[in-house]
Amino acid sequence: MSSVELRKVDKHYAGYHALKTVDLKIEKGEFVVMVGPSGCGKSTLLKTIAGLETINSGQIVINGRDVTREEPGDRGIAMVFQSYALYPHMTVAENMGFGLRMANRPKAEIDAAVKRAAQILRLEEQLGKRPKQLSGGQRQRVAIGRAITRSPEVFLFDEPLSNLDAALRTQMRVELSGLHTQLGSTMIYVTHDQVEAMTMADRIVILNKGRIEQIGSPLELYANPANIFVAGFLGAPRMNFIEAKAVSVDASGVSVAAAGLPALSLGGIDVTGLSAGDAVTIGIRPEGLRVVEAGDGVMPVFSSQVRLVEQLGRDTVLYVDASPLQTTNSDSGTGNFTLQLNKVSTVAVGATLRAGFETGDAYLFGPDGRTLTPRKPVAST
Amino acid sequence: MYPRPIPEDARIQRALYLGGVALVVILWLLPLLAVMLTSIRSNEELMAGNYWGWPQKFSLIENYKAVFEQTAMLRFFLNSLLITIPSVIGVLILSTLTGFVLSRYPFRGSNLIFALFVGGNFLPAQIMMIPVRDLMVRLGLYDTVYALIIFHIAFQTGFATLFMRNFIAALPGELFQAARAEGASPFQTLRHVVVPLVRPALAALAILTFTFVWNDYFWAIVLTQSDAVKPVTAGLNNLRGEWTSAWNIVSAATIFVALPPVVMFFMMQKHFVAGLTMGAVKG
Amino acid sequence: MSRLWRRNRHWVTPALFLLPGLILFGTVILAASIETVWISLHDWDGIGAKTWVGLANYIELADDPQFYVSLKNNVIWLLIFMLAPPIGLALALIVNQQIRGMRILKSLFFVPLVLATVTVGVVFGWVYDPNFGLLQLLFGAFGGTAPALLSDETFVTFAVAAAGLWPQIAFCMILFLAGLNSLNDDLIAAGRVDGARGWRMLRHVVLPQLSQVGFIAIAVTVIGALRSFDMIAVMTSGGPYGSCTVLAYQMYQESIFSYRFGYGAAIATVLFVIMIVFIAWYLNGLIKAERSNA
Repeated sequence: MSSVELRKVDKHYAGYHALKTVDLKIEKGEFVVMVGPSGCGKSTLLKTIAGLETINSGQIVINGRDVTREEPGDRGIAMVFQSYALYPHMTVAENMGFGLRMANRPKAEIDAAVKRAAQILRLEEQLGKRPKQLSGGQRQRVAIGRAITRSPEVFLFDEPLSNLDAALRTQMRVELSGLHTQLGSTMIYVTHDQVEAMTMADRIVILNKGRIEQIGSPLELYANPANIFVAGFLGAPRMNFIEAKAVSVDASGVSVAAAGLPALSLGGIDVTGLSAGDAVTIGIRPEGLRVVEAGDGVMPVFSSQVRLVEQLGRDTVLYVDASPLQTTNSDSGTGNFTLQLNKVSTVAVGATLRAGFETGDAYLFGPDGRTLTPRKPVAST
Repeated sequence: MYPRPIPEDARIQRALYLGGVALVVILWLLPLLAVMLTSIRSNEELMAGNYWGWPQKFSLIENYKAVFEQTAMLRFFLNSLLITIPSVIGVLILSTLTGFVLSRYPFRGSNLIFALFVGGNFLPAQIMMIPVRDLMVRLGLYDTVYALIIFHIAFQTGFATLFMRNFIAALPGELFQAARAEGASPFQTLRHVVVPLVRPALAALAILTFTFVWNDYFWAIVLTQSDAVKPVTAGLNNLRGEWTSAWNIVSAATIFVALPPVVMFFMMQKHFVAGLTMGAVKG
Repeated sequence: MSRLWRRNRHWVTPALFLLPGLILFGTVILAASIETVWISLHDWDGIGAKTWVGLANYIELADDPQFYVSLKNNVIWLLIFMLAPPIGLALALIVNQQIRGMRILKSLFFVPLVLATVTVGVVFGWVYDPNFGLLQLLFGAFGGTAPALLSDETFVTFAVAAAGLWPQIAFCMILFLAGLNSLNDDLIAAGRVDGARGWRMLRHVVLPQLSQVGFIAIAVTVIGALRSFDMIAVMTSGGPYGSCTVLAYQMYQESIFSYRFGYGAAIATVLFVIMIVFIAWYLNGLIKAERSNA
């Protein structure tokens, strides 16, 4: 039995289709991260699971029970909000025991639950303080503590780390993952930060315009994006996309041409619906591009001029202009490519260099954005 | 800031400016100061025509004693308290409820209801005078403090609803979502979340409503008749008719009527100003 | 049962919360205001039975010279009250300095606003007294004699409205001070850097930011002018010879003193219609402002 199940969930706001027939099954104990650009419906989806938003059609099942018409408090969920939503007039202990107090539980039970949560989150010293007296990270932990005391079946997190500074965010990320291991509860986590998604999730749900684009483990999604949206969304710096044309299509593969690039032959392509002359897109991740010496025959190679060098310490990111090659949809704009080199590079702005990539690292996306290249092995090191 | 602040170190300039403004204040309050001055003047002096000169003799105690002993002002004062305090409490309770619902439970027609509260609050009293008076007569409440209490609660609820609704709407929405997610019922949310958080608004609303109700004159003369229930405003006007030449007594009574709202204002000035501007500005 | 309650309490309880206020306000304020329109179609002495007379009250009103006096005086009130926003703004600009002691002066400016209108009436009765009033003191200083404003048919409305202006200025001043306190400091600083100062700064940088407060000050002042009653009742009882009545006062007089409740209701209805126009304009402005803020 799955922990949370959404069946054909549909949600309209006035004149706006927020969720489009969403189906999703989440297993018990799973840590699922929902991620997508702002306005994609991820927060709305979380709120429909919580019951804070009603749905127009479909069903929401939690632990085998249809809760579609139930109040949030009766669904067996607890939620951690982006602003923490701590009550300023209550102490930390009162905040954490709020849900149990509302359910009229005996005082001893509330105290025990608060104490246990405070222990887990190292908040014992702060129990008598008010939210105003706490640091950002402590407030965050109180909000989590408030969820823990109710021992919910499902934890819901709505961008809980977005109000923290970068250092604290990293620390809380680790703590949350540890908490998940410790409690073993189902957790559903909404964020727009792909690093959080990649590092914390058992499975990632990628949403776009009210629709689920793809579900899978972080590395699976990274290695095998189902379409150009997912490919472009996961990974920083973003994947480079090259506008191209299918020159010939047959069962064994596709031959692709792009201005400024030698013809490219790709095998094992899913050619259903693809015909010669179609506009396609080649995708190559920045770390798949490398600087090559002239004459390396195996790789498709193009020449480019360095416009900006970012030294990241161990890695170097180069932003280059590779006209007449046309990129689409990338961070740096038309003609511009991003290379991530696994070393400190001494290349200077203005220098001309040749970049190339292994055909095996390239992705091919059809006219509808679907990934056509065969599965790539998921990295395992 | 505008106008440009006078620099901290321009001591003389600052002192001169302050002195200038103080002069404007004196001119601004001159009518009131004149009445205050008269309230401590003796009747003989007024008879002799010394209206503006320095009083030869201070009759502060005599005059105010006369107000208490020879007029019904004390009775009126008590009536005003009996009317104002229950009205304020009633308004605070009702408007917290309506403001909470209208800000946090959107439903079809909620905006219309809100607009009715706001619009009704601007209607001049005369428009509802005849039916309200008739209603109180039929209920047997005419010429009792209850007539005034009921009317004031009803009328002030309009403004107070606008006020509370805007205040609660400005609180972080996630606090209410969190309460719901934690299983708090609407009543529990009201008790444990709304009431503690709206305390500053209630303070502001209390002082405003107190001032409005205390200062009411129109309904006092429309809904009451006898001295036993009349509030100070109506009482003061009667007094003026009865003591035409005793300006010192009338002045003392006037100051006496003005005192409670003015004292309340100075005690809770921040709340008063915040309330008035928020009520009007935040719309 | 309990389950049914748990599922429905999230809308039943709010409905119960809303009802007391709504019923009270709906019956005592809104229904009563509308009932006035109904009464205006009757002849009624306030005690006995009502007799249907159709529009007779309105027809009579159209021929009533007193009605036109009231209407004209309402316009005078409105015009005089329009001085309140600019004077209030000027005073707000004067006191908007952070100097030790300025706070108490500021509060003293607000005092007229917390006084009862009856108190203001008594105070200004004292000012206008032709024998020993403040005005006489002023005229006397130049060797003249002050006119007896309150018994002069030409000046009486101006004199009473001027008294009403006193607290209204304080109200506008409070609003503008709040507006000045929420000015965008960056814009002011940018204006200073660009060399704007004094009047040009006020005109091009400050006033545009005060437009919403200004709108509210004007609207509140218009509504206040139309509501004027207390001051007239206290200072002149509409006299001399009914020369300073306004619609609100005439309506009160016809009903309470002449027992002509139907006729009074007709006057109230006219005032009602005038008010509704202004209230609708005001609410519309507020809603627009709220939308643009959101």
